[in-house]
Amino acid sequence: MRVSKNTRLMFKAYCVCIVLFLYAPIITNFVFSFNSDRFPTLPLGSFTWQWYHLAFADELLHEAFGNTLLIGLISAPIATFLGFAAAYADYRFNFLGKKILLVFALLPPLVPLVVVGLAMLAYLSRLGMSGTVEAIIVSHIVLAAPFAMAVIRLRFEQIDSNLEYAAQNLGASNWRAFYEVVIPSTKTAVFAAFLLCFAVSFDEYAVSWFVGGLHETTSVRILSFLQSAVSPRINAIGSVTFIVSITLILSAQILLMKRTKSI
Amino acid sequence: MNFLTRKALYSRALYGGIWAAPLPIWLTVFFLGPIILLVLLSFWNVKSFVLTPDFQFGNWVKILSANYFWISYFRTIAFASAAAIIVTLVALPCSLAISFFFSDKGRITLLSLFVIPFFTSYLVRIYSWQIYLTENGIISQLLGFFTIPFDSLLNTPFALILGFVTLTFPIVIVIQSISMLSIDKTLIDAAYNLGCNSRRVFHVVVLPAAKPGIVIGALFAFIFCFGDFVTPTYLGGGKYTTLSILIADTVKSGQQWPRAAVIAIMMIFTLLLVALSSIAFAYRKK
Amino acid sequence: MSLKEDLTRRKFIKYGAIAAGTLAMPSLALSKTPTELTMLSWYGQAEPDAVQEFEALHNVKIKQKYYVGGEQMLALLAQSPPGTYDLIHADAEYVQQLRRAGFLEKLDAQDYSFDDYFPEFQNFPLHWHENELYAVLSRFGFLGISHNLDAVSVKEASTYKVLWDERLKNKVGHFDWHLPNLGALSLHNGNAAPFDLDEQAWQALQAKAISLKPQIRGFYDYGGILSSLKSGEVTVMPGIGEWITGVLRRDGANVVTTIPEEGGLQFTESFSIGKGSEKAELARKFIQYISSPAGQFKQATLNVFPAIIPSKKGWQKMVDERPEDAKHLGISFKPGSSMDMIREGRIHIRQLPKQQSLEDWNDFWSEYKSS
Repeated sequence: MRVSKNTRLMFKAYCVCIVLFLYAPIITNFVFSFNSDRFPTLPLGSFTWQWYHLAFADELLHEAFGNTLLIGLISAPIATFLGFAAAYADYRFNFLGKKILLVFALLPPLVPLVVVGLAMLAYLSRLGMSGTVEAIIVSHIVLAAPFAMAVIRLRFEQIDSNLEYAAQNLGASNWRAFYEVVIPSTKTAVFAAFLLCFAVSFDEYAVSWFVGGLHETTSVRILSFLQSAVSPRINAIGSVTFIVSITLILSAQILLMKRTKSI
Repeated sequence: MNFLTRKALYSRALYGGIWAAPLPIWLTVFFLGPIILLVLLSFWNVKSFVLTPDFQFGNWVKILSANYFWISYFRTIAFASAAAIIVTLVALPCSLAISFFFSDKGRITLLSLFVIPFFTSYLVRIYSWQIYLTENGIISQLLGFFTIPFDSLLNTPFALILGFVTLTFPIVIVIQSISMLSIDKTLIDAAYNLGCNSRRVFHVVVLPAAKPGIVIGALFAFIFCFGDFVTPTYLGGGKYTTLSILIADTVKSGQQWPRAAVIAIMMIFTLLLVALSSIAFAYRKK
Repeated sequence: MSLKEDLTRRKFIKYGAIAAGTLAMPSLALSKTPTELTMLSWYGQAEPDAVQEFEALHNVKIKQKYYVGGEQMLALLAQSPPGTYDLIHADAEYVQQLRRAGFLEKLDAQDYSFDDYFPEFQNFPLHWHENELYAVLSRFGFLGISHNLDAVSVKEASTYKVLWDERLKNKVGHFDWHLPNLGALSLHNGNAAPFDLDEQAWQALQAKAISLKPQIRGFYDYGGILSSLKSGEVTVMPGIGEWITGVLRRDGANVVTTIPEEGGLQFTESFSIGKGSEKAELARKFIQYISSPAGQFKQATLNVFPAIIPSKKGWQKMVDERPEDAKHLGISFKPGSSMDMIREGRIHIRQLPKQQSLEDWNDFWSEYKSS
């Protein structure tokens, strides 16, 4: 799109404003994590590391964080794969009952988390799985896969469907065509879907609370703090997660940049 | 025409099956099962605080005839719709900018900046908004500087929309951007060549091509806001009872999981309807 | 560093590590891993300040799952295999529900220091069923009107009528639970037994509540009450007590709880042993500790919030060692103590409604929130 320099500048300024808006709570989160007062009020109290000490000393939090990472790293790839498979099948094939399958696949996000939580708990406990980390993983895959499917499906829309056929006409088998045509063109979308699934799992609190039992994730821990022990410990945990996420995203970004450079 | 041989057809079907099968299987076992259980649950009874299997319509009658249910229902729809529209409009200039006005490097940087908050705890971010909105909070102090009177913004519809935008902005911008970035640049160039100005190009080429992304983004926003209880609870002060809060409340009244199941099923129906119509609208070819 | 020095350095490190390991070995062999005891409770009951003493004495590690409402607790128990939780900490209203659902082991009253308790608490009805004991009273507290002294004086707060005061419009908050709030309003309506209402009284109570709605700023959970009272969003709240204001005062807020003339409510906490627990013996020891003077003293001064204890010996310890805290809790052997308030009939036990179902009260609460 061609626009005047001023218009371009206006748009960019708008983006900056939005960034400020998005980061406003994160900034205050940092600031108040060092505040000595237990409840966030102005003017600020004195500077202290005590909330971080408390957070780091919390054994349950260590366990929770470990759980969160484990669950995310297992559920995200699986969910991404399931979403990709469904998106590819939808884009490539036409078969009886396809529409129904699609509706079915989009159902999970439509169910309120509180009830997914309860339903999964009741169901999984009949399978003898309630209160386990596996239960959380299974539930997160259910929650995240539809998002992966939607994101990847959007990407497929843009791919010229003739490319795959062309490859096959030239003699490639189904799998070869897939490898040479589909994978390269969907790589970024798949990666984006993976990050999305990881994020969904990372921040998920409602279902995890129900099916995890005594196994908590970081989000469950935060929720229980919010509901009972409100204190800047919440801010401290929030700050740490933020730093971790930024590091992850930046490294992913650097990786991506390197890849595009090498092509 | 050798790809019409039986072997090729069979291997094609197998190939297709391998891709089409995994997600439905997983969802059947781990999602359909629980949902069916949920539907059954809505017909159960609660005797002396103990859940007992049954088949009766008492829960459905109770909920569907309750005034407070319908008030919550329409309130939730109103808030979710308003939030979805607002966040879509707020994100649109950003996705435009990302797709057209930034260099490759700037694009990735900006997208990352927009998306990173998605990876930080939503709970903590909502909790952190309180200090801005409360009496003697940040906004209050700022306005006080200019001697503008300020009544706490907490527990107001404004606070709710604020929270919802915080929740949904990252995903909406991503979906809109993916859609917009994939617009065929040659189409735009062609439009310019045919003499359109930028505004016309936007309306005739960009907007229609980005429609799926915009609509799907709005749909996601609606769905997230519809089911969220964190913002209504912590920024709304529980004053605006949404359906998610109602479910939690219903459970509090003597283990009434069957009634909660009824509310949940109503929510599912509504969201399904909205989702199907949105998707149809998004992908409708003129 | 030259090669020779490097080698010596490495040798030193290697042998040093082996030596250190050998030294550590005996201590590893001597210390037994502590036994784990699981607890399902309100926040704060398993924090270090609460359980450290017991853990050290018996080489135990308490693993907790906190809930934020009795209903949540029941849901958790219903879906967990029996024996998941060795100890269950609950409000009195839930003990009978827990018993009926088969979640509690029977207890032997002889095991616990009931003799230390005030006579009023030796046979707390809500913990017994057909002469069997299911829960041991650990502590209790009063619920009245909590208010910010800058906005509402103690005199003003001595009647529930203050909630309707024009000045307090949009400054009144509710703890998002119907029982204590409706109980408080029920007392205001003059019901001698606030939870035992006939149809007429119940209708009157509902009408009274609806008339209060315009004053209400919001419905908060535990964390929300603390934040809103501290920030000044809300300046007065019925149906809560020192369990909130005691905590906020520690952080410098100018808040206090007043028991109005119409009367106040009492919340009661207790410990039980979970049915099917494989560590019932150890759980029993824990509850014994809780009912002992040492444990009672701890219960009164928990970090999460201070509360009144039922043990006379515990009272003595409080008066001797923490006079300031004792004063705030009304723990004293002089006239005007908390026990006197109970004996004067100003305090009513918070319990489930007798003539309506719990759903009726909760349905009304939902309606109230939407009105």
